[in-house]
Amino acid sequence: MGSRLDEKSKLVRKRIEGHTFEDEQGDEYEGSKFGGFTEYFRRKKIKLQNLDAQLRAQSADKPQIFKGVVCHINGYTQPSLNDLHTLIVQHGGGFIQYLDGKTMVTHIIASNLTPKKKEEFKRYRMVKPAWVVDSVNAGKLLPWDAYRVVDEGVGQKVLGFDNGQVVSQTNKKVQGYKEQTDASWYTSQLKGKSSQTPGGCRKQPSFTQTLTPDEDIEDDDEYPAPEITSSVERAFDQDDMDDTQPSLEEEQLPRDLLEARTEIETPPPTSPPLAPLQGVPVQPGNAAGADTAEQAGGSDSALRPREGSQEPDYTMAIVRDSEMLRSLSPSKLASMSAEEHNALLLSDPRIRKSTVVHPDFLEQYYRESRLHHLSTWKAELKSQLQALAAEKSSSQKTKLKKLPGQRRYIMHVDFDSFFAAVSLKKHPQYKDKPAVVAHGGGSGSEIASCNYPARKFGISNGMWMKRAQDLCPELKILPYDFPGYEEASRKFYDAIMATGGIVQSVSIDEALIDISAICFAESSTDGVKRNEGAVYREQRKADLIAQQLRDEVLEKTGCAVSVGIGGNILLAKVALRKAKPAGQYQLKPEEVLDFIGKLEVEKLPGVAWSIGGKLEEIGIKLVKDIREVSKEKLIGTLGPKTGEKLWDYSRGVDRTEVGDQVIRKSVSAEVNWGVRFENQEQVDEFMHGLCGELNKRLVKERVKGKQLTMKVMRRATDAPRDPPKHLGHGKCDTYNKSLQLGVATNDTDIITKEAIGMMKSFNISPGELRGIGIQMQKLDPIKPGAEGVDIGSQLRLQFKVGQASRPAPVQDDAENAGKSAEDPIQDVVTPEKQRIADVNKPSVPLWPVNPSTPTKKALNMLGTQFVLPTQVDPSVLAELPEDIIAKLAKHVRSTAQPAPLLPGKAEDTPRPTSRVQSPVPAFALPNQSQLDPSILEALPEDVRAEILGFYKSPGNRKRGEQALLPQSPRKLRTLPPIKQPVKRKRGGGLFAGRARSNLNSGDNSTLTQSNFVARPLAPKHLQEDGGATTTDTEAEPEELDPEFLAALPDDLRKEVLDQQRQARLQRTGGIDLSLHQRSKARKKKAPDEEGPLDRLLQLPPRPAKPTFTMRKLTELPDLRNAVKAWYQEFLDEGPYEEDVAALVKYLSDVVVEERDMAKAVAVVKWLAWVVEEREEGLGERVHAAWQQAVEAVKEGVQSAVQDRALGSVDLA
Amino acid sequence: MSTEATTLRVIIAAFTDFLTVAIHTILYERAIYPPTSFLSARKYNLSVRQNRHPKVCEWINDAVSAVETELLKGVVGRVAIVIYTKDNHPVERFMLDVSRFPTVALADLDTPLERTAANGDRLPILPRIDMEEQFRATLSRLASCSSTLKPLPEGCVFNIAVELKQDGQPPLNHPQPWMPVQSAKGDAVGGQLQKKAVPVRSIAAGELLLECWIEEADGAS
Repeated sequence: MGSRLDEKSKLVRKRIEGHTFEDEQGDEYEGSKFGGFTEYFRRKKIKLQNLDAQLRAQSADKPQIFKGVVCHINGYTQPSLNDLHTLIVQHGGGFIQYLDGKTMVTHIIASNLTPKKKEEFKRYRMVKPAWVVDSVNAGKLLPWDAYRVVDEGVGQKVLGFDNGQVVSQTNKKVQGYKEQTDASWYTSQLKGKSSQTPGGCRKQPSFTQTLTPDEDIEDDDEYPAPEITSSVERAFDQDDMDDTQPSLEEEQLPRDLLEARTEIETPPPTSPPLAPLQGVPVQPGNAAGADTAEQAGGSDSALRPREGSQEPDYTMAIVRDSEMLRSLSPSKLASMSAEEHNALLLSDPRIRKSTVVHPDFLEQYYRESRLHHLSTWKAELKSQLQALAAEKSSSQKTKLKKLPGQRRYIMHVDFDSFFAAVSLKKHPQYKDKPAVVAHGGGSGSEIASCNYPARKFGISNGMWMKRAQDLCPELKILPYDFPGYEEASRKFYDAIMATGGIVQSVSIDEALIDISAICFAESSTDGVKRNEGAVYREQRKADLIAQQLRDEVLEKTGCAVSVGIGGNILLAKVALRKAKPAGQYQLKPEEVLDFIGKLEVEKLPGVAWSIGGKLEEIGIKLVKDIREVSKEKLIGTLGPKTGEKLWDYSRGVDRTEVGDQVIRKSVSAEVNWGVRFENQEQVDEFMHGLCGELNKRLVKERVKGKQLTMKVMRRATDAPRDPPKHLGHGKCDTYNKSLQLGVATNDTDIITKEAIGMMKSFNISPGELRGIGIQMQKLDPIKPGAEGVDIGSQLRLQFKVGQASRPAPVQDDAENAGKSAEDPIQDVVTPEKQRIADVNKPSVPLWPVNPSTPTKKALNMLGTQFVLPTQVDPSVLAELPEDIIAKLAKHVRSTAQPAPLLPGKAEDTPRPTSRVQSPVPAFALPNQSQLDPSILEALPEDVRAEILGFYKSPGNRKRGEQALLPQSPRKLRTLPPIKQPVKRKRGGGLFAGRARSNLNSGDNSTLTQSNFVARPLAPKHLQEDGGATTTDTEAEPEELDPEFLAALPDDLRKEVLDQQRQARLQRTGGIDLSLHQRSKARKKKAPDEEGPLDRLLQLPPRPAKPTFTMRKLTELPDLRNAVKAWYQEFLDEGPYEEDVAALVKYLSDVVVEERDMAKAVAVVKWLAWVVEEREEGLGERVHAAWQQAVEAVKEGVQSAVQDRALGSVDLA
Repeated sequence: MSTEATTLRVIIAAFTDFLTVAIHTILYERAIYPPTSFLSARKYNLSVRQNRHPKVCEWINDAVSAVETELLKGVVGRVAIVIYTKDNHPVERFMLDVSRFPTVALADLDTPLERTAANGDRLPILPRIDMEEQFRATLSRLASCSSTLKPLPEGCVFNIAVELKQDGQPPLNHPQPWMPVQSAKGDAVGGQLQKKAVPVRSIAAGELLLECWIEEADGAS
């Protein structure tokens, strides 16, 4: 204010304020003159101000909050222009309807602006209508900058003045009409009414929850929310506990109370109970935990009903509880930058401790992640099992060859409610009572496992405690007993291993065992033959094994297991359902279809409500319904994999094998909880830690990776800064980036460097980060060796802290699998793809083309450049050029290969005609100029074309030159030198085929006599091609020497000529457009061939054409003219007999001699037409005479035609 | 082409080309085969029809080469494309009189021919342009022959026949492409029948002298 720009508006304001209105006597109320528009408009504005002045005077009682403000309204607003106008004027503001200049007013009110106007009004006070409304409601002039219409864009931070402090604000997103309609005055009016409806009641409880714990300790204690995940919350809990249960905790847990408390009371799903630290006895804690659980369980009935959805409120409460946060208003929180927000959040030491900026975060994070433990332990167990199984089955698998159609016996062994059963061992008194294993008695905790009595109440795994307690009020809640689980599992697996089958661990309490081999051993069959007795014995054996296994496990662990036996994994799993609880069931092959058919589809493994729903849409409820549906439809509904799998399943087919191992394809480390950074340095530091973790995992898996993928979660722009879950990631945008490292590595420094680089390339502000994950792909196993030593030492260093204090592996059962999505650490195990063949291998092995220059020869003579094969294909060798053969021979001889393989010159004599040894070398073609044209001429056409084409082909030359290039020895080493397409192409096309045929044609009895005769004309070496020529219709026919022909006996000559003619006919007997192809080349050749026969056949003179009249007419038009002239000439007297006779004579000659019946007929017709046309004034007599003449001519022609025995001709 | 020395072989090749096209055209025009089995093609710069059935084409090509063989011997008087009814009565004959082709000794088949006019000028033996023009005219006449001919009964078949010159030796050798028939009253086929001749056109292109007409069996057969 006070700028030059304000001057005008100040003037306007003063003018408006000074404006008074007395009556309508002022000059503005006079009529305007013609053409006086300016005058008119000035008056109009004065009159409008008169109205305002009157309005202002009428509402003097209203607070004059807009004093000093002059407004103009642009565009559509809510409330309307009129309402706003009234509001402003009533509250002491000035209003300008017509904006003469932008500086006339202090504020321009608009709800939205066109881009052009946005640019135009960028530097003026553009405010939203809400400013007026809010100001009026507030009773004071609110700062207009909160109601900006035009801002500097999202990227530009602006300074704001708030309570005397200068604060930096992020710009709000530019919003359009949507905002106006949502936040407008009218909408609020409407909302005001609807907010009375019950829909709003949900908000109510949250108010109670936002009370600070200091004031409401009891409340918090009674609602141990499972989502309390951080030590911050634990810290609060700790405070509470100090009041409620001080004795219990302090006596029994002489360690960090904070953590101990967590373990006992409320182990949240995402943060594992702390395993016992070194030297601290576990048992008391567990006992206490059980007690607490019971206590909690007992007090549950007294609980007020509470919705799960309240957890966010709770965490929000905690955030708000932080003094720093509390000191700020929500609006201020919103206006802070993400970094500031985080800084504020982290300024609370308790929160800070549980976020990534805490130095020990990662270590703690992984230590506390229960799912991480479970997965780690399972992975360990699996690797142990693999090692064990590998040892055992290496012998077995060889023994048991998989035969097609072989019977299989697969056992699926599963604990009955594993967690519950193991936990119950410690509390045998509850064995027959409904009991569940859960984090605690809190209504929000989830049931991990329940025993069978509890199941009778309808309680199932994964159910919320609240619901379970509704179903069964006297439910006993047992704590987790992780050491117990592990011990039981180990014993379980020991027993399973003892069966001697092929074992595949499914989870800690389930395993698949292939006992086919044992059963076959019992029945002493191969498992293929159908033998009633054998099958029976096998089945009995399987049952026996199962029984033994169950007894053993029961004895060792005190828990019952169930066993399902079937012909494959699917059937075993299905059978297990029937076996439970504490039983066993063998699904016999004959009952498979019925048994499976009766099941509901969702009972099949891998099918749940999602697929079940889809199936129900196509009318499938039971498994047998699937059999009715075509495979295509199933695939169409469920996709190719699932569809086919289900189709198979419905028929009891399952192709997976026990012991099929998924190979790890990637190793990753990911953190998406507690990620709150203040600055880039913290990010880098954290990246370092995370990469260290990845390195640890890579080392543990004994792999190195070649591809690094980074996943970054960034707070979605519309997500709140504090997500519902405390320090969780909330709604996020996820970005991924991959990097090829080139060399496989697991080195922390390299990974860190690359990861930080990638992170920077995302260009995400540190405060917005909510999750970071790095993943190593394209894994290569580390070979144990010199490297291994190094890594071993690294292992020890790295695991000094983490591994030594690592708690006994904790575990979860299948019920918790659903939660794995929340597991902040996800070890992605994806099956490895088949490795494709090495692409670097050249697809076309190179082989130097025959050297034609001495230098090339010298190069090849070295002989060490190639790895020569020990096995030489003689046929290939035979076609090699001589020098190469010689070289090979040397080599081969040195490797004690028999010499006969080499078709040396020595063989020339026994087979002199062999094409292979023909003087034309397959390789070194002479220069084109050196070619004997006569030989070329005599060659069969296709062969000739090939030879010439070869000379023309540019690629050929090139190939030859390429051989000169020095080739990388490394490349050559991998080459199989004997295969060489280049040579084959050349030699094969030209001679290889012939060579083969020549082998047969040596004593070719199919040669015909005529061919034999014809051949002497062919050039010498073509003779060998005789066999080919006889069959080759395209072959160029030899020119017959007339003298030679003459010397032949008559019949023989005839035959030769016929033969030749026949051949020609075959080529020439068609037309171009027909299927019959005529060789153009051959046609061209014809004159050349006949060139030497330089003589002409003089044709005998032809008999002269018959002519008409003395003018010797022969052509039809002339004849017509003559006929017409004749008619007109003798119009008066009629034709003379002689003339008619002459015409008849001529036409007869035409028909008989000239043999142009058409011409004769045309002349006759012409004459008839001419006569019929009949000139005027022609006498009847004359006309009749003419008609007679026509008839005579017709008769003459007709008789001529008949003379030629052509019947009659139509002359009409 | 004009530089090429014209031999009898060239003349006969030109004729057999024409014969092939003519046969296809006749087959199309007389509807021996369904019209849909014909392709439109171009020959002598004229749109002609060609049967696309490979067997038909093969048969025609074989027949034409057999005709060519006889033509080269110089014994052929006429070439006939005969159309028979189902019960083997000839209804139409498309005649090509080739008796005025030059006759040369077998040895001179490939000897260039020459004709000198009375004044010593060399006459063209086979004026290509003229020949093609005449072929074109003949083919277009043939293509419109259906308008003057009576419609054929159902299920007609066709055959190729040659009438030998008076002194011509029938081709009796093995394999035997021709079935020898004794002419009845100097006529190869169906001499007894009343017939009507429809002249088509004569061709006189240099030494290629040819007359073409259609013989139609008169009366109901």
